[in-house]
Amino acid sequence: MSNIVKLNIGLASCGIAAGGEAVLEALKKATSLPIAEVGCIGHCYAEPLVEACLDDGSSVMYGNVKADEKSIANILALGENGRFEIPAKRKEKELLKVLALAGHIVPTVMDDYIANGGYEGLKKALSMTPQEVIDEVKISGLRGRGGGGFATGMKWSFLAAKPGFDKTVICNADEGDPGAFMDRSLMESVPHQVLEGMLIAAYATGASRLIIYCRAEYPLAIKHLKIAIEQINAAKLNVFADRTVEISIKEGAGAFVCGEETALIASLEGQRGMPRFRPPFPTDRGYQDKPTMINNVETFGNIPVILREGGEKFAQTGSEGGKGTKLFALAGDLKYPGLVEVPMGTTLNEIVFEIGGADPAHVKAVQTGGPSGGCIPVELFDTPVDYDSLRTLGAIMGSGGMIVIGRDRCMVETARYFLDFTHRESCGKCTFCRIGTTRMYEILERIVAGKGCEADLELLEDLGKKIKAGSLCGLGQTAPNPVLATLRFYKDEYLEHVNEHKCRAMQCNALVDIALDKDKCVKCKLCIKTCPVNAISDDFEIDPAICTRCNSCLDSCPKHAITRVAKGGKQ
Amino acid sequence: MSIEFFLDGKAVVAQAGQTIMDVAKANGINIPGLCGEKRISKTTSCFVCVVKDKKTGKFLPSCSAMPTAGQDIDVTGADVLEMRRTALNLLLSEHNGDCEAPCTVACPAHAAVEEYVRAAANGDFKGALAIIKERIPMPITVGRVCPRFCEKQCRRNVNGEPVAINEFKRLAADVCYDSYMEDLPELTGRKVAVIGGGPAGLAAAYYLRLKGIQTVIFEQMPKAGGMTRYGIPEYRLPKNLLDKEIAHFEKMGIGFSFGKTLGKDIQLDELQKQFDAVIVAIGCWQASGMRCEGEELATPGIDFLRNVIENDCQAPNPGKVLVVGGGNTAMDCLRTSIRLGSPDVTCIYRRTEAEMPAEKIEIHEAKEEGVNFQFLTAPVKLEKRDGKLVLTCQQMVLGEPDASGRRKPVPQVGSEFEITADTVIAAIGQKTAAPAGIPVDRYGCLAVGDDRVSAGNRIYGAGDCVSGAATVVEALASGRQAAMAVARDLLDIPVETENPINVSRGKWQDLTLDELVVLRDDLSTDPREKLAYIPLEERKNSFKEVCATMTADQLTKEGKRCIECSCSDKHDCKLRQFSGDAGCKTDAYSGMRQSASYDVRHPEIIQDRGKCIKCGVCVKICKEVVNKSLLSLQKRGFASCIGTAFDQGLPLSCKECGECINACPTGALAWRKKR
Repeated sequence: MSNIVKLNIGLASCGIAAGGEAVLEALKKATSLPIAEVGCIGHCYAEPLVEACLDDGSSVMYGNVKADEKSIANILALGENGRFEIPAKRKEKELLKVLALAGHIVPTVMDDYIANGGYEGLKKALSMTPQEVIDEVKISGLRGRGGGGFATGMKWSFLAAKPGFDKTVICNADEGDPGAFMDRSLMESVPHQVLEGMLIAAYATGASRLIIYCRAEYPLAIKHLKIAIEQINAAKLNVFADRTVEISIKEGAGAFVCGEETALIASLEGQRGMPRFRPPFPTDRGYQDKPTMINNVETFGNIPVILREGGEKFAQTGSEGGKGTKLFALAGDLKYPGLVEVPMGTTLNEIVFEIGGADPAHVKAVQTGGPSGGCIPVELFDTPVDYDSLRTLGAIMGSGGMIVIGRDRCMVETARYFLDFTHRESCGKCTFCRIGTTRMYEILERIVAGKGCEADLELLEDLGKKIKAGSLCGLGQTAPNPVLATLRFYKDEYLEHVNEHKCRAMQCNALVDIALDKDKCVKCKLCIKTCPVNAISDDFEIDPAICTRCNSCLDSCPKHAITRVAKGGKQ
Repeated sequence: MSIEFFLDGKAVVAQAGQTIMDVAKANGINIPGLCGEKRISKTTSCFVCVVKDKKTGKFLPSCSAMPTAGQDIDVTGADVLEMRRTALNLLLSEHNGDCEAPCTVACPAHAAVEEYVRAAANGDFKGALAIIKERIPMPITVGRVCPRFCEKQCRRNVNGEPVAINEFKRLAADVCYDSYMEDLPELTGRKVAVIGGGPAGLAAAYYLRLKGIQTVIFEQMPKAGGMTRYGIPEYRLPKNLLDKEIAHFEKMGIGFSFGKTLGKDIQLDELQKQFDAVIVAIGCWQASGMRCEGEELATPGIDFLRNVIENDCQAPNPGKVLVVGGGNTAMDCLRTSIRLGSPDVTCIYRRTEAEMPAEKIEIHEAKEEGVNFQFLTAPVKLEKRDGKLVLTCQQMVLGEPDASGRRKPVPQVGSEFEITADTVIAAIGQKTAAPAGIPVDRYGCLAVGDDRVSAGNRIYGAGDCVSGAATVVEALASGRQAAMAVARDLLDIPVETENPINVSRGKWQDLTLDELVVLRDDLSTDPREKLAYIPLEERKNSFKEVCATMTADQLTKEGKRCIECSCSDKHDCKLRQFSGDAGCKTDAYSGMRQSASYDVRHPEIIQDRGKCIKCGVCVKICKEVVNKSLLSLQKRGFASCIGTAFDQGLPLSCKECGECINACPTGALAWRKKR
């Protein structure tokens, strides 16, 4: 029998949120074995995760670990209980290249990264000319992972063409889409990998300033990056033959629009984060009016891989619509939410059902690209996921948020939810975005409240198209997408709302009553006790005028005798 | 370095640094834009200036986009105009302000109320009169008899009584009507016949003269004034004042030909031959009957009034009087009867006081003078018995609202009763008695086109004969409108139209005291000034005017009660101008508007946030031109706004240079004192 030589515990934000720190304390109390605080392996549903590394080189994983003595003892005894195996289908479909080290090394230990091939890419780059590095990136076919999909090598060559070294490379870490956490996970788990990519970019483009613009809501990522920067400075990895590269972090204050590159630069300069008209593009006039280039976290995360294995090999993975792998933050109505990495061109079917373990009978659609994207109905899940194929469906790949929508979700309400986010996050600068999205939101509010009319649907579509055409930046240009996509694929749901005042998903509270089936009821009165507004009488009549449709009674009922029904109707 | 590209298919040349808008302007194409300002960096905010790149199909903000060689730019295509209109409609939908003050909007003549009130309150009566006469050429009359549409919409109603707007008109006219003379342009040689010397005809002649068009007014009566002379009693409008008012029209060179009745003494086709155009303004001179048996025994209200006036108020005592009807003519008949010595005067009206169309003040004054009111009573039969008139009436109850919105009176079966009287006056209504040859519509009114004045063949209509019996101010407005149409057709000049865009904060009935926007700092909280009435006994026994004109001192005080609702930028607001040009509608999109919060902490400059379009031009002007950075954009989304540091208002370091105010495309930033 093998012995445990080391314990790894996942302590990225997801691990901490699931209670990982208490598990760590319990482990420390129970054993003197070395414990490594590693990042995230992408299996959020199984956090906290503990990996017992054995002396034969293999390891045993434990998922959903509790901080009690029994669970800890079970791990230390390599017990059979609570063992975690990566689902076989996911193992088969996933291809971990960018995430290869995530969750397996200690993010704050530089040597751990170097011991696993870290900074070999930089070393190789420094042995090449900058132009050769750019060519390698071009050969790889890498396209921007932030959502825009612009060819990375091309972008680099624009900046490299500018004379001198007074140039800036910015890492866009302002990951703002609700439900997206690819960049956070990378920065928390493999900060050096991101920074290595940035250093390579600085070398290739002739920049002498590297800035990471990271949202302040990511304190752990910022902490890990800061430690990594100190380590880089100490090791003089930022010192090139002809210049020293200065690396800094700027914390963003949480404005979604600051993910847009010109708004990001304005924010960096201390201005209000608002986009400006392009051209001039940042490569011509960027940060402090100097040539500037902005890449996304995941894009930088790919660079060391490209340099290590070569552009040609990198390009062998993926599809026509995109090379390499892509990270997706899988969330919503599925069994295995988490961070996945798959080759470009993997179909939605594979991601949602095989990797995510979603129930085909229950899934209605998937929303890609967050609030800027659109929904894709389950009937079209054989679509390969890459930059171009999703766009033809009115959605976008975006930065990698992927939200699975179950059949019990209303598509009108889904659209309203996303518009609620974007109309608030508009910077207020341009007319179509600021007022137009507000008007669309108000119309959606009207429809989910059962007060819409059929003309509202035309108004939504007309306004949506005009907002896309008449907005200054990507925020406004994509904000109507969730509405236009749902109108395209789920118009029948909209029509039901406006014509029949009916929500088939029984989600829109204004169109729903709560009904109690007295035949099933065992008169336990749990519902009466639970109801926060006393809407249920002692003889189990629910007063629809008082009831807020909060679902507390549904959840409390042991007999499932209470259900949501169409307003005014009987069960 | 210059490049060539295309604007609406025409090859144009752009110099380095020129935007598409710059090049368009240099080639005589003005693209509207709200947020461009040459001295500051680009704001690219309003998107009103969009144009389309035909090749890519993309819309570009022309204020910011630089042309590229060979680019084919669509500036005036239908979808470009639609995008522009949509941008403006969206801006209008969030705009929370008043372009015009509600009083001006309510005035049928669209008089610049706020302006003449301010001028008169400051003692500039001549200036006030000039403003008034731009729209109301009979201020002596209107200042006395107007039902005051303006005052009914005055925002001061929210908390008390409206500003005594009409009194300003009355005093300004009383003080300097005689000495005032318009700048009269040279005559063009064009001649127009006006049939009818009432307010509509007079107004038409007046405004035609101001356009250099000579007129002759043909009037059937021996004197001019129409219903103002022969319908309105002396105690409301002394006829010596009316004479004075009409004398001015003669002074202006307007010709009068009296005793000429259309269809008898003059013929339309002959006038058409002699004149370049004919304006028909023959009024409503035929009284409607009571529509009951024996109605011919009743005296028509307007005939009764005219008889008294024609006899210099010397008519015999009518004895016991019943007046059937609830309008202003009925009130005039009732109060005239009192003055003729009638011991018993009763108004018979089929609904209740709340539904009476007469002015509240008229009803009130009639009551003061001793008039009895019998509501929910309708005539059924009038007969003569023993030298007396016997009116059989029926009791009514109010039923469902009818088309006019008023509750319909329903007779109660078996409720008939009789009232005996010496005189029964029917003041039910009037209609036009158009002679043969005059085209009429199904209501008997002169048939006109959609513009409400043009009847074709250089014939135009104005006043009551177009609208049905209405008020003096409506007749004046209609007369002016007819004059403008004639001037357009004869002189080939554009009709001066109101800007169709008029954003409103809402009617006072929908506003609370807190929601009033008060930008002046010296608003008076005093109650409305009181009119000086002559003693009641004198009112009942003579035809003397019932109350005196307010004094200048009173109006100085009263003027301070005016909130000055209208926008200080109403004449040069770009949003309003471009929206009007683009055919926008203020209600194209509905939804929440900006908060009406405003900042008057600075003694000279106001920030009226509800009118802000968030273009940020003021922010950049203050930062990049003035070098102060006292303004900034704040918040996000729909709540975005222009604010000051820590919301402390503009600081003392603001030198009041006015750059931000001048640059603001709307009235969101303005001088506190209207200039």
